[in-house]
Amino acid sequence: MQRNGKKATDLQIAICGSAGDGTIAAGDMVKRAMARAGYKVIAFDVYPPEIRGFGKCISRVRVTSEQVFSLKPKSDVLISLDDSHAIPHVGEVKDYGAVIYEDMPVTMVPEGGHISGHLLSSHLPYGVPFRELSERVTSSARSRNIAVVGYLAGLYGMPRDVFYAVISDKFKTKPAVLTKMSIQTFDAAFEVGENTFRLDEGVLKPPPKKAKHGELVMMSGNGAIAKGCMDAGLDTFFGYPITPATTIMERLAVDLPKQGKRMLQTEDEISAISAAIGAGYTGARAATATSGPGFALMSEMMGLGTMAEVPVVIFVSQRGGPSTGMPTKTEQSDLNIAVFGAAGDGQRIVLAPTNVEGCYKCAGKAFEIAERYQTPVVVLLDLYLSNRYEAVALPAKNPFAANCSKPVGKLGKDQPYHRYALTRDFISPRAIPGDKGRRHAVTGLEHDENGRPNDHTHEMMSRKRHEKLHSVVRYPGITMSKRFGDKGKVDVAIIGWGSTFGEILEAMIIARDEGIRCAAMKVVLLSPLPMEPINALLADAAEVLVPELNYEGQFANLLTGTTGRAVTRLNRVPGTPMHVEDIVDEIRRLAAKKKGRKALAAE
Amino acid sequence: MSTHSHFVIIGSGGAGSEAALIIRKRDPKCTITQITGSKLPFISRYELPRVFDGVDNWRDLLAHPPEFYDDNAITVRRNSWVDHVDAKNKKVLLRHKEEVSYDKLLVASGGGGYLPEGLREFRPLMNGLGSYEDAVKMRQALPSKGHVIMLGGDMTGLDLARTLVAVGHKVTLVAGEQLFWPHEVEEKKEKKFVTVLEAMGVKVVLGKKVMAIRKGAKGEPARRVVFDDGGGINGDAVMPFCGLMPALDFMIGANVDIERGLLVNPELKTTNDSIWAAGDVCQIWSPEENSYLFYYGWHHIKEMGEIAAINMTGGKKKISTYQDDHLYINKQGDIDSPYWMYR
Amino acid sequence: MSNIEKPVYLEEKLEEIQASGHLEYRSKSLPTWCPGCGYFSIVEGLTAALNNLSIDPDETVVVSGIGCASRFPFFIDTYGFHSLHGRALPVATGIKVANDDLSVIVVGGDGDAFAIGGAHIPHAARRNVDITYILFDNGIYGLTKGQTSPTSVLGFQTTTSPFENHDMPLNPLMMLLSYGASWVGQAYAGHPHHMAGMIEEALAFKGFSYLHVLSPCVTFDKTSKTYQNLGMSVRPLPDDHDRSDVMAAMAQAQKTDAPALGCYFEQPRPTLADGLNDIAARAAK
Repeated sequence: MQRNGKKATDLQIAICGSAGDGTIAAGDMVKRAMARAGYKVIAFDVYPPEIRGFGKCISRVRVTSEQVFSLKPKSDVLISLDDSHAIPHVGEVKDYGAVIYEDMPVTMVPEGGHISGHLLSSHLPYGVPFRELSERVTSSARSRNIAVVGYLAGLYGMPRDVFYAVISDKFKTKPAVLTKMSIQTFDAAFEVGENTFRLDEGVLKPPPKKAKHGELVMMSGNGAIAKGCMDAGLDTFFGYPITPATTIMERLAVDLPKQGKRMLQTEDEISAISAAIGAGYTGARAATATSGPGFALMSEMMGLGTMAEVPVVIFVSQRGGPSTGMPTKTEQSDLNIAVFGAAGDGQRIVLAPTNVEGCYKCAGKAFEIAERYQTPVVVLLDLYLSNRYEAVALPAKNPFAANCSKPVGKLGKDQPYHRYALTRDFISPRAIPGDKGRRHAVTGLEHDENGRPNDHTHEMMSRKRHEKLHSVVRYPGITMSKRFGDKGKVDVAIIGWGSTFGEILEAMIIARDEGIRCAAMKVVLLSPLPMEPINALLADAAEVLVPELNYEGQFANLLTGTTGRAVTRLNRVPGTPMHVEDIVDEIRRLAAKKKGRKALAAE
Repeated sequence: MSTHSHFVIIGSGGAGSEAALIIRKRDPKCTITQITGSKLPFISRYELPRVFDGVDNWRDLLAHPPEFYDDNAITVRRNSWVDHVDAKNKKVLLRHKEEVSYDKLLVASGGGGYLPEGLREFRPLMNGLGSYEDAVKMRQALPSKGHVIMLGGDMTGLDLARTLVAVGHKVTLVAGEQLFWPHEVEEKKEKKFVTVLEAMGVKVVLGKKVMAIRKGAKGEPARRVVFDDGGGINGDAVMPFCGLMPALDFMIGANVDIERGLLVNPELKTTNDSIWAAGDVCQIWSPEENSYLFYYGWHHIKEMGEIAAINMTGGKKKISTYQDDHLYINKQGDIDSPYWMYR
Repeated sequence: MSNIEKPVYLEEKLEEIQASGHLEYRSKSLPTWCPGCGYFSIVEGLTAALNNLSIDPDETVVVSGIGCASRFPFFIDTYGFHSLHGRALPVATGIKVANDDLSVIVVGGDGDAFAIGGAHIPHAARRNVDITYILFDNGIYGLTKGQTSPTSVLGFQTTTSPFENHDMPLNPLMMLLSYGASWVGQAYAGHPHHMAGMIEEALAFKGFSYLHVLSPCVTFDKTSKTYQNLGMSVRPLPDDHDRSDVMAAMAQAQKTDAPALGCYFEQPRPTLADGLNDIAARAAK
């Protein structure tokens, strides 16, 4: 996996402003337009923790010609829509990068309050009278963010038509004059940008040829979850608003009723999962979405799902914890509760996609798997993955199967139906309310095959609940784990999960370019773990590194607990994604350590 | 000497940049802010002709690498314009509505290309050479073996003319009053220098007044210069080189004396105790000549920056107001000027 | 209604019961409740009501939480979901949202409903989920062997209130009326025939119907809500009670010393499903 080097397009744009400046909207236009133009795009928005007012928003968009897996720590371009927010981010602009800002503020700026006084000496300043530009065209400063986008597009020679399409799309439900004025603003600013002599070193080559598999769609992680749910035929969704999962519910509130399906905002997370399990019990595809605090409330009901063997899908977008923690910061610290969190020893299925496309896949497959194995399936996301955007190539054909439930065959005369009948694969044929002559009660009490409360069956039923899950590691149509990089023996193996795997992959590519033999593995199925490929990688590796965004090393604990292999942990909890460079440093250190051992052995 | 004073320098050219460095050396703890309209850190005007000689990255033309400014804690506020100076409250007001307070101010805003009255309306049809961006635009406008028509003929222009000829372009110089500016050349010597110029490959048109500049007709080169006698010449680009005009509109109302430039004493202090000036912007009192004079050329400019910096930081040094800046023919038989010594 | 008009003979009664067909709704499991428990008559009442209304047991789900009452689904031959303590209502809501065609009956006790599950009742009521909620109120935690519940009277002595209960009991009828429940009624386990009628009425109502059943715990409550005490204090609602008048219903609900039996309030309005269908219709445009 080698990159084309300096010649390839790789432009990362950070737009920073207040809530209300249209910052996120501007970033959204850029990423959608660039995806439409055929570039690879990865983007991440940061919202203010404040509810209202003038909190800081940052939208970061990385536009590339080759597939990349994470954002860069340094941006090529910083656009300030509000200097007081953008000034602290000047340091994230790379050397010889650009800073674009408002040159004609409407009121006096306090001394030291203008971003032009804060640039590093290598930065290239582009002061533009965006407010004037916007007012000239629309008699209002409200389209200032569109002027910013126009200027950026002109400055870097981005194709205009894709922006026209994105702007038209954005205002399609609004009066036509809005689209017209927005495009006029865009054009006016585009021309200013086009006629600006560009001095910074950001690289944007003409877009690559359109991908063969069709249009790339710009999607956030949460958007891909919602899309996966819809394509998998989700019937009902129950949720309670919580950052950063709310946008899943908001999307489904629009999309589900269009299909005659149903979304209900419940009174709390307990009701959300309860209702989803109630719906799952009727044979409907049901889901809920939450974050750490809500997930903690759900754990008892998930235990019921395991015990009563009811399919349900729970999307969990992790944020900083414990407790209310950091609602607008990312973290990977709910792995423990996802895998272990409930009373008793009931194993459940946990999937963790590593990118936006994976969100789509995992969301859809989660319903198949929940149905097939008659158990709750947790899909673990995190704020970084939920809110980040990537250009995704969706499959032309819906990849998800409709009904995966094990059917009740024909029963003999007087042969009673037993909901929890023991079978060879430990999965019982499942009847649902409405099925004729299959009446039964499900329960959270330990029970016999017929579902009647019974303590003597506990050993047998515990085995059934655990054994039935084993084959999920081979579930078709979804990647449960994947190895990248060098084959055979490696000096360093990096194993990761969730959004951090993007940074891991970037780090591995850099380390390999430096001549270090290494491999990276993403583990999507976190419970039960796909032991076979994991053990194979561990056997190949002199050193094992597990980077994750939690303090304890929850995945490292899981790995060591299941394999007995000691691993090197790299844990960070800054509330932001891991730095690629931190991982590379650790790979270098481990590779050197291995070399040192070899030298010692040679002596 | 060490203070926590704020030194503000308007301009990031030769004088301003030299002053900033000397101030930093003499006062490690003070704050230094340079304000410039340029987007780039300091590039000497005398370096710009290299753009036509194959240098296509501005980083190779910088007088100092960007780290230099960071290492010396000199803030260069680029892409910023001074609206006016409020000398009473010691504040500089920037165009983007930000005030910058100063303890001591050095005006080193240099000069812009001068354009005689009759040519001003044709500015859009001419290329300047005030900045790196100008130089690149000019290079891009020029076809291979292109033809540049220069108007005037000041020393910066002649420097460029040599480079253009050397890289294969054709240069026609329509000599004006500013020929060899800022040198003052006697008429009989002028002919000798013109002969050398022509020997270098620069075609010199003498004694004609430019009436108009027009776009070239279809199929013709991009520009046509029309003379007062009705004749004219075609070229791919027209560049004026008619000397410099001090850039100090913003100093009007700042309570300092101005003639054509900012008037300063030989210690480069203006009539305001907190404001100094250096470089092409200032007119220095010359006791020898009993008048205020301009002192051009790289070595003067650098010296002025240094002297202003010394005096601003408590020193006392006067500029030597005697000058001997003659145009001459060097040993290789080429025209040469002390203004080109930087090369 | 406690008047017995003629003697009842066991044989005749058995014949009558078998002929009625409502035993079809009884499961083969024997209830685990204590002999004399009021809950037996609730099973009787519900099976009779299902039978009278010809509700298909294959299309019926009985949902419960945890507690003595919540064992109910095992004793009736429909689909059943014995869920978690306090969570019967949201589970039932989910079932109903997923499949409108099912008849959903929620059963539970006073602790399950008003202590741990208290947060869910207002929402099931205001959404007008088309379910019937039969609440067995014995004023005590029976399954855990006799602790105070949210409806235990002041001064009640239990294993967790050895120095008498000092917490005001809740007034469930007042709560449900103020939550906007569209059908609210009260019955008494000691009057099984009346109760069966009330269950039938609640089941037939389209929308959220709440039936409060006063039901003695013969094992752990020897002093408070006994058959003797309740039997002496219950009374029918006045003949002129206007069930469309919520203020009148509340006035009756305040009279906790002499609990009135009957339908307090009834006001049909669009159900949750009606609302969801409307949303779908709007979205389809």
